[in-house]
Amino acid sequence: MSEIASEGNETRIEISGVGKRYGNLQVFKDVNLTFNEREIVTIVGPSGCGKTTLLRCIDGLLPVSEGTIAIDGQTITEPREGVSMVFQHFGLFPWKTVRHNVGYGLKLAGAPKTEIDEKVPYYTKLVGLEGFEDSYPYQLSGGMQQRCGLARALAMEPSVLLMDEPFAAVDAQTREILQFELLNIWSMRPMTMIFVTHSIEEAVLMGDRVVVLRGRPSSVFEIIDVNLPAPRDRSTLSHPRFSELREHVWGTLMDEARAAEFELN
Amino acid sequence: MTKFLPFINSDRTIVRWMTIVFSVVLGAAIWEAVGWSFNQSIMAPLFGNGDDHPGTLPKLYNYLFDDEEYVLSLIQSIQLFTTGFVLALLSAIPFGIVMARLAMLRVALESYILGLYVTPMIALIPFILSILGFDFWPKVLVVFLFAFFPILYNTLEGARSVKPELLEVARSFRSSEWGIWKDILIPYTLPYALTGIRQASGRALVGMVAAEFFLSTSGLGEELITASRNFDMAGVLATILVITGLGISFMRIAGAFEQRYAKWRGLDR
Ligand SMILES: Nc1ncnc2c1ncn2[C@@H]1O[C@H](COP(=O)(O)OP(=O)(O)O)[C@@H](O)[C@H]1O
Ligand SMILES: [Mg+2]
Repeated sequence: MSEIASEGNETRIEISGVGKRYGNLQVFKDVNLTFNEREIVTIVGPSGCGKTTLLRCIDGLLPVSEGTIAIDGQTITEPREGVSMVFQHFGLFPWKTVRHNVGYGLKLAGAPKTEIDEKVPYYTKLVGLEGFEDSYPYQLSGGMQQRCGLARALAMEPSVLLMDEPFAAVDAQTREILQFELLNIWSMRPMTMIFVTHSIEEAVLMGDRVVVLRGRPSSVFEIIDVNLPAPRDRSTLSHPRFSELREHVWGTLMDEARAAEFELN
Repeated sequence: MTKFLPFINSDRTIVRWMTIVFSVVLGAAIWEAVGWSFNQSIMAPLFGNGDDHPGTLPKLYNYLFDDEEYVLSLIQSIQLFTTGFVLALLSAIPFGIVMARLAMLRVALESYILGLYVTPMIALIPFILSILGFDFWPKVLVVFLFAFFPILYNTLEGARSVKPELLEVARSFRSSEWGIWKDILIPYTLPYALTGIRQASGRALVGMVAAEFFLSTSGLGEELITASRNFDMAGVLATILVITGLGISFMRIAGAFEQRYAKWRGLDR
């Protein structure tokens, strides 16, 4: 991290010595990471390396097997206020309209009606779903469904936003649009964003830092400071440093993929 | 031949209506012809002549608009049906959802439920008769039993297939247990329950007639028996039409609810 970026940007999440087992399967071990108050950290690694599991642990949905995860100094044992998750599978309620999906978290949190009536349209509009308030999820494309999932999480005005491969299930063009829109939304209200992906390009494009998970059981192999100029937009994709970093991460992960293949043979 | 196929299979409204009219007219004509070719104590025609071949439809008209006792029987039957059916609905749906939430209860009871779902409930009638007697409530129990298991079975089926991802979303957004019921379990299970209700409405109708036959006779069941003892085939057929009408109405009502509350299923399934 550069000095300037870390100024007044305190640690929000501290992961120390964390490991997770499902029965006999050790998914990851000895993970140590810190996340600051205002930064986007992308986590990249091959499918099955435990990215979703790690996010669920941070969200308090799963207990860790070793170590501790603390947010604002408090150890996580269950889902906590101020932390919102955007799911790979969208996780929308098919019987609720966009309006009620977006307002879901607010309603659960007991927000007064006036607040809901103010925030739901605001965030619906922010993610570009204006005019679709009364549509059901099945009437929306995948990209629009994830916009709705994003609005639901943003409406909680979280200090930590966890994103689990949010754009993996949408088509390539839509994904690109959503990536830049998300960066834009983040810059309007910066927070701790942990963005999990298996796409190397996405990791480099979106992250202030990129965490590379590797190995079986996996652990943090490398943390890369991206240092690409802001704002990130289409021109970032042709920046020499972007291709350099992409190739670097690609090399790292390919090494492992090749090793895994030999192991299988 | 192939030239006519596109016409026959066309989905134009006019073709559909013509087909339906043709089918109804043909069916009525066959009934009428069969009715006339038998003695009136064996088979009654649809329209008849009001003399040695009394018609089913005139009898039906007479029952519904000119025979207070018959209308009372009809109301009695509907009461029996509704009471048993509503009780089944109010108990089977919550029970089904509770079992979705308490996996062990489900595991413990699942095979019984499946067994009872496929058991012809009619076989239980002698027991009910000998244990509980002839009142209104034993009859309600019969209707209840006919309706309960289809509803329970389908509700359970739905509750079991609730997507774990949605439960995870609920936990992530810090939902209460009641919230999980209200936002997930109930809406998710409702379309399945309604399928069960539609199934059950047909079965409960069988239960209703069976109860009115085998326990103390009453309602439409009694009308049916009386008419048949008097060799009044027009009366028998008219009552069967009434029961059929009831069955279709119940199915339609349940089907309408199913449509209404399963709207979200859209392309989701
Ligand atoms: N609930 C679970 N029970 C047992 N094994 C699981 C469970 N969830 C995930 N796994 C296993 O843990 C590993 C990591 O899964 P996951 O975190 O989903 O990886 P990723 O998100 O990186 O693709 C996989 O091998 C997966 O099969
Ligand atoms: Mg995953």
